[in-house]
Amino acid sequence: MSHAVISCLHANLAATEAVLADIDRQGIEHITCLGDLVGYGPQPNEVVELIRQRQIPTCQGCWDEDIIDGLNSCECSYPSQLAERRGHRAHQWTDAQLSEENKAFLASLPMTVRRERLLFVHGSPNSQHEYLLPDMDAFAALERVESSGADTLFCGHTHMPYVRELSGGSIRVKVKQAGEEAASERKLELPMRRIVNAGSVGEPRHGSTEATYVIHHEDSDEIEIREVAYDIERTCRAIVDGGLPEVFAWRLSHGFEYAERADDASHVCER
Amino acid sequence: MERWALISGLKGDLELYEQIQRDLQATRGVNTLFVLGDVISPDRNCDALLDRLQNPKRGDLRPNCIYGWWEEQLLAETGFRGDRKADALRLNHGEEVVDALLRAVDPAHLRWLVSLQFGFVELDCGLIHGSSADIGDELTPETSPLILIDRLTRLDVNRLFTARSAQQFRLELTGGGIDSHVKALGGEHKQQQPVPKRSVIGIGAGAHYTIYDAGSDRVDFLKAGAKAVANGRGFG
Repeated sequence: MSHAVISCLHANLAATEAVLADIDRQGIEHITCLGDLVGYGPQPNEVVELIRQRQIPTCQGCWDEDIIDGLNSCECSYPSQLAERRGHRAHQWTDAQLSEENKAFLASLPMTVRRERLLFVHGSPNSQHEYLLPDMDAFAALERVESSGADTLFCGHTHMPYVRELSGGSIRVKVKQAGEEAASERKLELPMRRIVNAGSVGEPRHGSTEATYVIHHEDSDEIEIREVAYDIERTCRAIVDGGLPEVFAWRLSHGFEYAERADDASHVCER
Repeated sequence: MERWALISGLKGDLELYEQIQRDLQATRGVNTLFVLGDVISPDRNCDALLDRLQNPKRGDLRPNCIYGWWEEQLLAETGFRGDRKADALRLNHGEEVVDALLRAVDPAHLRWLVSLQFGFVELDCGLIHGSSADIGDELTPETSPLILIDRLTRLDVNRLFTARSAQQFRLELTGGGIDSHVKALGGEHKQQQPVPKRSVIGIGAGAHYTIYDAGSDRVDFLKAGAKAVANGRGFG
């Protein structure tokens, strides 16, 4: 059996439809969505309704949370004041567009979805706002998976798809306690764990314009990263016509890695 | 050179604080005092100690304080932590203890308590009541080294001094590593990452405190009114 994982749809209906069609063509019935259904893009209601209609198990992303709880993202969400102002405009626009019913749906989404030893989150098990970047400290990355009791952690949020295998690990320590004559030593063998980032359907930032998602081929336990072309012009036109910042259309059409992410991967949102 | 005294868990006990101050005056070279939280508790009136910490007597080593778990509970209950209340305290100890905590501290001290920081980073050391993850995080010698590396990495420090567990210990990461293999659309990347040479030091609580010499990296675990009971320098 194969299982598709999609993330960061960002109100981009054309991209969402194209990815779902690609999944359907392969006969894959099981899909999990890692959130951020809205934000940046011009069709928040349409995308939320499509996910609801398809009954796709979905966890809540940081944009979904902020639309419900109010704009209270900490500074780690934005690398600059300019990006933050654009984000706030998109937030206000989305908040005004989104129906109460669809807001209620976003509010009902769980933080995590678990299937046996597979865990699905938006950012990390700690927070929807934490970025698990492919080059973050390997021990800290393993800690995120291990602490959540999973073998494979599926996440999104960075908009860059990757598969990271962490294996062959061990840690040796020496401990000296008050009142003890000698230090004791021990060695911890670390388990093999995997982080799979599903990329982004509606706001790709991996250097190309195509939507990305992943397929987990459960029989072989292989992960396939998929790129899917979609009608970018349709989305860009709707962004401009809708009155959203034009730079959102520009970055979709250029596939530029417009990194709206924290510089510090180890930073954990404290809010 | 820097020689620090690190104390925590005074819990309103001014006599104990005065004993530690006397010890430090008799200890050569200690030039900085860090108080890693839990200066209050519901068990006694804490006002005299809070007065003394804010207004040191002549001869006192000036205390550099951060807040601890008990301060966090008080500040939450008194509206300084947004919508949060002292939920952890209420859950674990009940409503009576919440009331006792409120009675133990004069509201005039809240302004000072709310000004305290979560932690200090001095030289390459992090000084925190719990850990970089949470004020209530109890790090002990039994805590998974993977979690300890994470807590060190979050602060990007080589040594993490913690008080929450009340234990006195030094745990050094001495070796090991991990293989990382990343596959992305742009290609694959393999890397072997060694375990960083870092330490977590539990400073104790109450009468049990710690002296740290930054120049020699020596740790001494002490008890108020007694001589050194152990040292953790490089494990010989």
